Amino acid sequence: MREPRRIATAAAVVLFAAPLTVLVIQAFAEVWRYPALLPQQFGLRGFRVAFAEGDAAAAVSNSLEVALLSTGLAVLIAWPAARSLAATRGRWHGAVLLLLALPLLVPPFATGTGLTEWFIRLGLAGTRAGLVLAHLTVVLPYVLLVLTSAFSPRVVELEEMARSLGTPPLRRLVFVTVPSVRAVLTAAFLLGFLVSWSQYGTSLVVGAGLPMLPLTLLPFIGSDPTVAAALSLMFLVPAILALVLASRATRETL
Amino acid sequence: MAPAVLVTVVLFGGALLGAVKQSVEPSLGGGPSTWNLDSWRTLLASPGFLDALRFSAQLALIASVLAASLAVAVAVALRSHGRLVRSAFSLPVPVPHLLVAVVAFMWLSPGGLAQRALGRLPLRLVHDPLGLGVILVYVYKETPFLVLLLLAVMGSTLREREEAAAVFGASPFRVLIWVVWPVIRRPLLIGTMIVAAFVFGAFEVPLVLGPNYPLTLASYALQAQQKSPLRGQGVAAASLLVAAGMSILIAAAVMRLARTADA
Amino acid sequence: MDADGAAIGALLCSGLTVARGRAPVLRGVELEIPSGTRTALVGPSGAGKTTLLRAIAGLQPVQSGTIELGGQRVDGLPAHRRGCAVVFQEPRLLPHLDAAENVAFSLRTAGVRRVERRSRAAALLGDVGLDGFGRRRVGELSGGEQQRIALARALCAEPQLLLLDEPFSAVDANRREELRALLVALQQERRLTTLFVTHDRGEAAQLGERVALMLEGRIIQHDEPSVLFERPSSPIVARFFGSSNILRGVIRAGAITLGQCTIPAPGPDGEACLTIRPERVILARDGPLELQVLETTYTGTHTRLRLGSGDLALVATVAPSLAPAAGAHVRVELPIEDLWRIPLAHEAGEVPAQEWDLT
Repeated sequence: MREPRRIATAAAVVLFAAPLTVLVIQAFAEVWRYPALLPQQFGLRGFRVAFAEGDAAAAVSNSLEVALLSTGLAVLIAWPAARSLAATRGRWHGAVLLLLALPLLVPPFATGTGLTEWFIRLGLAGTRAGLVLAHLTVVLPYVLLVLTSAFSPRVVELEEMARSLGTPPLRRLVFVTVPSVRAVLTAAFLLGFLVSWSQYGTSLVVGAGLPMLPLTLLPFIGSDPTVAAALSLMFLVPAILALVLASRATRETL
Repeated sequence: MAPAVLVTVVLFGGALLGAVKQSVEPSLGGGPSTWNLDSWRTLLASPGFLDALRFSAQLALIASVLAASLAVAVAVALRSHGRLVRSAFSLPVPVPHLLVAVVAFMWLSPGGLAQRALGRLPLRLVHDPLGLGVILVYVYKETPFLVLLLLAVMGSTLREREEAAAVFGASPFRVLIWVVWPVIRRPLLIGTMIVAAFVFGAFEVPLVLGPNYPLTLASYALQAQQKSPLRGQGVAAASLLVAAGMSILIAAAVMRLARTADA
Repeated sequence: MDADGAAIGALLCSGLTVARGRAPVLRGVELEIPSGTRTALVGPSGAGKTTLLRAIAGLQPVQSGTIELGGQRVDGLPAHRRGCAVVFQEPRLLPHLDAAENVAFSLRTAGVRRVERRSRAAALLGDVGLDGFGRRRVGELSGGEQQRIALARALCAEPQLLLLDEPFSAVDANRREELRALLVALQQERRLTTLFVTHDRGEAAQLGERVALMLEGRIIQHDEPSVLFERPSSPIVARFFGSSNILRGVIRAGAITLGQCTIPAPGPDGEACLTIRPERVILARDGPLELQVLETTYTGTHTRLRLGSGDLALVATVAPSLAPAAGAHVRVELPIEDLWRIPLAHEAGEVPAQEWDLT
């Protein structure tokens, strides 16, 4: 099995690693004058400025908090819906699925702008709670669509087994359902987290100046690429983490 | 079921309602305002808006068709390979769009790494009037997504059917047309629709790589908001509603297409 | 449960009805299984066997009727409080646990400490013939081994009632015999009240101390296996258990006329419906009936003959070495002690006398 390994490595390098090298080089470039292929001087200025001027610490913590909370909420809310969507194919199945998937199709900037209208009155604009709710609106359909594939008849069969062996409902959830859907649950959570983490338009309008990582990053792209690259590396961390977790899950099922 | 429906109706429905309200009753100016269609009139009379509409549609169409064609080619090539090769090709999926745009900017902008390496840029991809850089980013991001969708349906059942067709004397090309295509058509259509709707609402990628004119609908709305915080609010909401409506329209059309394709 | 392991509970179902949508699946099931005994529930597919088992386990809501277990009404209780254990058609093992933890599943969820539950699991794995399999992953096990683990898991829960839903149907034929013997041994050792669903009448005869035949949502006959095979309560029961020889006529002075021939018949005079098992039909040089061999089928263990003459049709099975050729004329004897007179009251019974293709 040498051949597939080689193709995989080549694909990974060409599609993923090689384009990203520029970020790493740029982030640590102190001086990088034009025709040179590599910087003349390396240093940590990019990170220093990111934390000093770019509010990187607040941006990372806000982004992290909002992503974790909105995705956590989305998973809790999507769970029962995914269960019943997977179990029944009633008359309303298609209509409900369409309704729940609709936010996926509408530009998040539009959703955010519309929500602001009410959030200003409710005192939610510019707060993390407001951002969590706005992100929840966008994240929920992603989480729901992934989670729906978790509840196959096999899971129901395993739950029946546990019922018939005297396991009460809460313990069934802990000992049977969650372990059985763990891979899909992880995938749904990762996807939801990444969708929230990457949100730009919603955070821009609803956040009203609250520092969030992508918002902090964008202005530096034209003005100071080194700072932009430093912030981008922080922005990249969850994606890498997601890849590591996904590959571990893949190895487990192999 | 109920909590998800409730959350969607309240938050998403509320958002649409809020946008409608803003577009007909811009109230940020303070004081009692009355309902009017001024924002819509301003919007429809603005050449910038019509160009943005055309530009967004153009980006959505080109990016989604390119991504779909590439995805079919890649999926057909990858299906005989194992998990390792497939997961290597799905690496771009979790990378945020904005990040891809930043990376593209650093490679392709004047003075970027590509120019340093090649000496000159054969093609202008950053801030170019056709939005080629934007399209590039979306094709890079969305092709692996579509490939994953396609590989999911190209499983062992399909392989068995192909074997059956081959046993009955169908040529490889016929097998592709008669056996493979009917299976991948629906997921491909729906996936491409999601990509198109997504690109239609493009926001941060064109902010980084797109031209200063024309704008996409979302960046047009942002510009309207920033230009005049009072009057711009209603115009922005109206243009975003057009974007939302167009996305839903694309979705509805494709769903219909998928259904008739099945029958 | 105490140390002598007397986890016993008599089962009593009465008037049980279940409908799926508007279509009735169970139409008033009456079933009694005395404490510590085995009953095999047999019937063609679609008869409602699995539904009945699921209703007893609490996995299927019932419209009306009652279920008593060990003298207690359980039909209002959720499945996990009924004290049943089910072995399903598929093993339904948890892939994230090893063999021992699957066996000890009920202990795990009850919070029993690891050391204790693993030692209990090891003992049970020994009981089902899988000594030393504790650390195996589920994926490494064969279908038969997985089903043994499912059986051990059910025993580990120390149920009042053990329910098995065609548990060996996915196991290959040679292993199936072993598993049946194992099940009977384990059940007798523990004196477990047991209900075993199968569509195979041979398996039902081997496994059940008693056999219940279910057709179209009703229990038609529930008795010892030999009774169902030899003294069926209706022609349908006779056909299900492999006796397609249904002879109708009138008995006069202790004899019945079949075709041109009169043979001795049991019971009082009057209209009668007789049946005789194919293996009891005797080819005899001096037999009273003369029939032609219409068809011979070699089945591996014996040869089945389709015999006919005018209206009279019979099926007989004989040793392959004794089988006549097709077309030959043979003389046949139907010993009076092997002729069973089906009670006529049941003939026009509630079940439509539809032809069941049961071979």
